[in-house]
Amino acid sequence: MIFWRGENKVLNYRPDEVIVEIGSEESPILRNLRRALPDVPFTLVEHPKSFLSALQASRDPFGKGKRRLLLMRHKGDFLKKCPGSDGQVCCNYFVINFASNCPMECSYCYLQDYLAQNPALKVFSNVGDLLEEAHKLLSRHRRFFFRIGTGEITDSLALDPYIGISEEIVPFFAEQPNALLELKTKSDCVEGLLRLDPKGRVVVSWSMNPPKVIDEDEHLTASFDERLVAARRCQEAGYRLGFHFDPMIEYPGWEEDYQGMIERIFALVDHQRVAWISMGVLRQTSSLKRIMRQRFPSTRLLSGEQVLCPDGKMRYFQPLRVRMYRKVLRWIREASPTVFVYLCMESKEVWKQVFGFSPSCERELGNQMAHH
Amino acid sequence: MMDQAILEYGREKVFQKQTLSRWLKLPEPDREALLELARGLRIGENHFRDFLDWLEEISLRDGASLSQILKGKSIALIWSDSRLGRNDKLKRIKEELRRLRFPRLVRLEGEIQKKIRQMGSGPQIQMTVVPGLEGGALTVQLRATSHEELQRLLAVLRQFSERTEMKEIFDLLAGREQGAELSA
Repeated sequence: MIFWRGENKVLNYRPDEVIVEIGSEESPILRNLRRALPDVPFTLVEHPKSFLSALQASRDPFGKGKRRLLLMRHKGDFLKKCPGSDGQVCCNYFVINFASNCPMECSYCYLQDYLAQNPALKVFSNVGDLLEEAHKLLSRHRRFFFRIGTGEITDSLALDPYIGISEEIVPFFAEQPNALLELKTKSDCVEGLLRLDPKGRVVVSWSMNPPKVIDEDEHLTASFDERLVAARRCQEAGYRLGFHFDPMIEYPGWEEDYQGMIERIFALVDHQRVAWISMGVLRQTSSLKRIMRQRFPSTRLLSGEQVLCPDGKMRYFQPLRVRMYRKVLRWIREASPTVFVYLCMESKEVWKQVFGFSPSCERELGNQMAHH
Repeated sequence: MMDQAILEYGREKVFQKQTLSRWLKLPEPDREALLELARGLRIGENHFRDFLDWLEEISLRDGASLSQILKGKSIALIWSDSRLGRNDKLKRIKEELRRLRFPRLVRLEGEIQKKIRQMGSGPQIQMTVVPGLEGGALTVQLRATSHEELQRLLAVLRQFSERTEMKEIFDLLAGREQGAELSA
């Protein structure tokens, strides 16, 4: 059982220990970690087996996993196609997993379930391999335009002050003619980005929710204002911006809160520099629901009127969520008539009810987003 | 004593350890109210888990305890109705709990059913929506035993499609209902 109160600021994150697997000693990530965390013990191990089995045996492996940072080589592919969700409209997105798990604690986080058997907070040391793999893929398919994100199984920027990953990957993607890199975050850790020139090829995007939702369910993340100020700074530094209104939460007064949030965003950022906005309602599998009930017993998120959808995820019942999407879309359009808006993990039927059309194929949606 | 009775009930109905552990962790009045309900309706594990999930979620939303919800007027009326057998009671109490857990969804489903009834389509043209309304679709099923009958039913269906109720059903399915019933 976890209760979070009186904190926020992901910048306060300090791992209790950094465990370094042999073979990672020459990594620039280790150099950055040592510089950023001079007071934290570093332990070199041949294999992190005993650490991982002790973690798995603890009462809250996922939560405890965040307390130690494991630096190790990644042995599989770094670049993968986003799995999307069965039967839902997909946006043809690719993901790079440079880390796994994240220092924040959102009560609804799907990683609690997805990483249940692999909960350690890991950062992969072989960034050179990552870049080489990306280079091979991008040069092999020059006529295909890739949208690639790093925020699938970790937050793209929350660890950046310690590991300096953006300094490694942004300059690479800034030179790629057929790719757009998206860094997705709930943090305000953008200092590392401000020193780099994205050359129009990097989108920094924020998952946004009204302050009430952030306070109650997005623990250890940056506040709404901190995220917004960080977005403005990135925009001024030449980055395009993205906003993900995901997960949208329905509660008494949600309309005022979400409308106010949208007005505040567009009062501070230039809507013409916004690459895209996504909308998606709260969703969870039944196993995630069980975990949420155990880890966050007082969250009110589980008391919404959610039903089981064909892809195995629970969402607010369709007429209710369609109504939510339409309202939010209207408020977005009032602030920015031209910004690209899409739905995340929704069916064609919902697309039609919200927008009056649905993309004919994933490539169509991906292309629209890339060239908007 | 009561915990022993809960464990015995769980053994008899072959409940999983996790379900029993959730039950045993509840405050005493809630444990007791659930035991009374489970014994009275001879509830198996799947129904019990639904009951427990919904009760906990209603409790979280409304700030009432599980026993207060179970002793509420609407459930108490079904519970004490001597005309109802065990199966009917279980079905009705479960429906009532679902209504308490999903008030707007159940209201919307009810409105759609009402409009279907108002059209009076008869047994040969059946119109249904799935529980939960996912997919936003109305399923229409025709039952004909001859070509002439099929043509007649299609003509009737065409007339139905022009009815205000039919348009309203699709509006409701698409979240375009009048008023603000769906607002939180």
